[in-house]
Amino acid sequence: MFSDDTRVLTGAALLVGAVFVTAAACAEEPNPERNAYFGETHLHTSWSLDAWVFGNRVTGPADAYKYAKGETIKHPLGYDIKITTPLDFMGVTDHSEYVGVTKQANTPGSYTSKLPEAQGLIITDPNSKQQQQRAFLAVVKLLSGPPVKALMSPKVAGTVWKENNDIADAANEPGKFTAFCSYEWTSMPDNRNLHRNVFFRDCAKVPEAPYSALDSWHPEDLWKWMDTQRKAGNELLAISHNANLSDGWMYPTDVDSLGRPIDAAWAESRMRNERLIEMKQIKGQSETHPLLSPNDEFANYAVWSVLLGLPPESGRVDRIVGSYARQALKDGLTMQDARGYNPYKFGMAGGSDAHNSASPYRQENFFGGHAHEDGTIETRMAGHNFAGIDVRYEEPGGLTGVWAEENTRASIWDAMHRKETFGVSGPHIKVRFFGGWDYDRGLLKDRDWVKAAYQDGVPMGGDLPSAKATAPTFVVWAVKDPTAGNLDRIQIVKGWSQHGQSFEKVFDVAWSGDRKPDRWTGKVPPIGSTVDIDKATYSNSVGSVELKTVWSDPEFDPSLHAFYYARVLEIPTPRWSTIQAKQLGIAPPDVVPPTVQERAWSSPIWYTPMEKARKAAKAGLTVAELKGRGATELDQKQVEALIVGKAHWVRNNVTGEKFKVSYSANGQRTVWHIGKNVPQPSQVGDVARNGYEGVTSAYSIKNGRVVTFFQEAPFEFAFYKVGDAIYGARSNEFGYANYEVLPKPVEFLNPLGKGEVAPKHGPVPPGPSPQKK
Amino acid sequence: MTLNTRKRINAETEPVVGSGRPGRDPFFLRSARRLLREPLVHFLVLGAALFAGYDYLYSGDRDESPHQIALTLDELRQLGLLFNAQWRRQPTPEEFSQLVEFKIRQEVLYREALAMGLDKNDEIVKRRMAQKMQFLAEDVAAAREPTTEELKTWYEKNSDKFSLPSRVSFRHLYFSPDRRGARARDDAAQALAELAGQPEESTPTESLADRFMFQDYYADRTSESLAKDFGPEFAVAAPKLPLGSWQGPLESGYGWHLVYVDSLTPGRVPAFEEIEPDVKTAWLGAQKEAAWAKAYREMRAKYTVLLPAPPNSDTVSVASDTDTLTQGSGAPL
Repeated sequence: MFSDDTRVLTGAALLVGAVFVTAAACAEEPNPERNAYFGETHLHTSWSLDAWVFGNRVTGPADAYKYAKGETIKHPLGYDIKITTPLDFMGVTDHSEYVGVTKQANTPGSYTSKLPEAQGLIITDPNSKQQQQRAFLAVVKLLSGPPVKALMSPKVAGTVWKENNDIADAANEPGKFTAFCSYEWTSMPDNRNLHRNVFFRDCAKVPEAPYSALDSWHPEDLWKWMDTQRKAGNELLAISHNANLSDGWMYPTDVDSLGRPIDAAWAESRMRNERLIEMKQIKGQSETHPLLSPNDEFANYAVWSVLLGLPPESGRVDRIVGSYARQALKDGLTMQDARGYNPYKFGMAGGSDAHNSASPYRQENFFGGHAHEDGTIETRMAGHNFAGIDVRYEEPGGLTGVWAEENTRASIWDAMHRKETFGVSGPHIKVRFFGGWDYDRGLLKDRDWVKAAYQDGVPMGGDLPSAKATAPTFVVWAVKDPTAGNLDRIQIVKGWSQHGQSFEKVFDVAWSGDRKPDRWTGKVPPIGSTVDIDKATYSNSVGSVELKTVWSDPEFDPSLHAFYYARVLEIPTPRWSTIQAKQLGIAPPDVVPPTVQERAWSSPIWYTPMEKARKAAKAGLTVAELKGRGATELDQKQVEALIVGKAHWVRNNVTGEKFKVSYSANGQRTVWHIGKNVPQPSQVGDVARNGYEGVTSAYSIKNGRVVTFFQEAPFEFAFYKVGDAIYGARSNEFGYANYEVLPKPVEFLNPLGKGEVAPKHGPVPPGPSPQKK
Repeated sequence: MTLNTRKRINAETEPVVGSGRPGRDPFFLRSARRLLREPLVHFLVLGAALFAGYDYLYSGDRDESPHQIALTLDELRQLGLLFNAQWRRQPTPEEFSQLVEFKIRQEVLYREALAMGLDKNDEIVKRRMAQKMQFLAEDVAAAREPTTEELKTWYEKNSDKFSLPSRVSFRHLYFSPDRRGARARDDAAQALAELAGQPEESTPTESLADRFMFQDYYADRTSESLAKDFGPEFAVAAPKLPLGSWQGPLESGYGWHLVYVDSLTPGRVPAFEEIEPDVKTAWLGAQKEAAWAKAYREMRAKYTVLLPAPPNSDTVSVASDTDTLTQGSGAPL
């Protein structure tokens, strides 16, 4: 007995000890369960031409790394700046050209040193003041004369790139701080932002010169070049940014930038190279737009609708369609379903795009991102207007989070490549997201849950394995930044596709406090705000430190392609503009909200139906099939006779939703009786609100097609008649004819006892069926 | 602009120079002779010949012949090399034609722009050239290798830049505000009282406190790394705790903790020999900074700056950094 007790006691002590040892080992050894590292993947220094134009002439890449590691450096305007929380990794993403000439000239045997143009630059006696003086004069002469092409050759220009990389090598401290070799490919056709940041896995293998947008502005050419590099053993990946400012060019669905039809090869090339996207940076977020996601009450965040550098008299407006990631993820599913390829299976990242060799990441430590354009509180709060930017709209920089075994180039790059990444709006919010089929509901009680989560499923960025249950289960976990606001909630954003239409829904899955989700919508009410706008303060008396849950999709349909990603929201905190308005004693600007809910976005997890499940589902009706049945498309006159000055009832055959469409004789159109909580097909805008308020938008009829605009993007609606039935096809639904004109008005929109939409968030409560609004 | 149809590519006898320097140059002669033996050059010449609509003209002095564009063999070779560096293969004749076309286009537009004076008063051109001045000045500074003695002296003056931080090892118990709300601190204090006087090995610590999201034990952590993990206040407080006993409650960004510090390794300044490469890197940075500051000071000293006078006052002039205040006599707005 005695000896047994002793053994038990010793065992317990050993157990505790073992936990400590393992934990201690985690700090230094590679952690197979992976650690979260936060880094900047988009930063400019004075070496970038535009940074210089903005007035950053002071600090270079070396200073940028100092700042990232926590040292105080100078803002271009001369004051001290210091990061709130130092970073774990960074890649400076400057451009490079025509620098480093003198140094090359003085390297015996170098290409430059043999050029006649460089002879005046050579110093033989390092201590000779005279020679240094002469060399500098030669430099001045060189610069004031016509451009010396010999010095612009790749061998010389390449040394600048080399210099960039040498600085990264010097800043790189494996295990402590990772500095990447990276640069920005800056393609901007007609003010459309198609920029990509390119990250190399190994600085020892980088090419002599990076591929620039001067070589080609087409992303397709960049991918081709990246493929060439990869084949030669030089691994690299690209992160696109500011899709929101791309005028719809970042995520095309039909034609590429060269005007060729998008095909499987294009999709594969894109996915091989563009592994991640930047969800948020100083110039706004690219997740989604309130008009694309009218049912997402948190979509109204850091919205930017700007084309950079437009002449002030230009009337152009940045296009929403094709400019946001969530829509691209949805389109990707539909393309997979309808055409057999998905070019948009990307992971999430974040960056700043600051041009000060340093970015602000926090509302309470905000100093702008463009040197003298936004470097003082007065410039900012006066709403300085430059290059089409109202400074008040600027956001703190975002960051890229990765789950990696250790803080080294290889480990972090590999995490980026496998998309085990997340983007944050600034604070270091940690989020984990796993998907599988048989996660235990109580999994999170287990200390070793992460190990089990890896074992029985896939982490963010992955594909769900073949279905083993009726619905997939997700493990989601988030912890706040210890220096920032508490967490409000975790949401899972789901997208799916059916018959050429794609849908989205945001599920609240874990939240702080004892709030009760709405009985019918499942939505959790907003958290109380602690923000005092006059004082520009908040308190962590609400919200959670940690949120976590195991969640199963209650609306899963095994026959449909789907994706899921997690979004974590902080409690409301004062926006920088509110804090700085208080400092100046003025009103917070009314062009931006006074508070903000900082957030994190995980990379998605995708579900692909098995061939069997896909085939078992009811097929949709395509235009091709209609034509096969002898349908004819209505011509101009027939369509005019059918709709002008009239209204008719239509059913969306995918969702079953019935609604009325009015086409006024004045060329205005609106849609009525759409429910607020029913998932809508893509790119229809806030139809529920517009119908309720009687808001109209213009239509016209061209070549028998009804043309309507969703913001800047035109959509066509074609009518097909077969027998007495009239079907409609919308031009963004991949060849499907999903709408059917109903022969007579609908008498009961929500007939009781059958057909009402049951809440899908939980069990149907007992009692009489409610009237749907 | 008119196209001169005279066609001459003869690097062997008439070396072409792209810089506007007059006359022949031995370097280009040598390299041209060598080049002519290389298959790549043959290919390039072939590519150039294909480009029949364009002419490569010899120009001894570019300034005198603004309508002649002379591309040297070396420049053509560079085009090929650049392509090769990007794509890891030779350009096809068509691609090569395009490269040449692009180069000519750039040169034509550049010269036409110069002729129209577009470079004057262009803020971007001005700033770009000013930026180049800095790069080049820094390069001059970086051209010199320091001696070890020099580095050592500099290290002694700047040794604080290289000091290593202190490191602390501790375990902790966590009291979660998510679970305990406002009671978390009091609960921690009470747990501390319970822990006091109990033999350490038998302490059922896990049941006393809440599960922490991360580690229970942190080994050899610097304040900097603790600030990332727990927030700055905790990072400052933890290393100051007495060793070998439970202490607290200490607040972090996540809630309240009781902390048991095992060991504290004080910070130190490493010897020069341990970190010579780091010293050299830092020295170089300092040299560049100083060289640029000095170069700019000297250039700045050559100028007198006149600013428009504010209303009802005399002209204001801005002195150079170094001193000399020169009174101006007013300037046009």
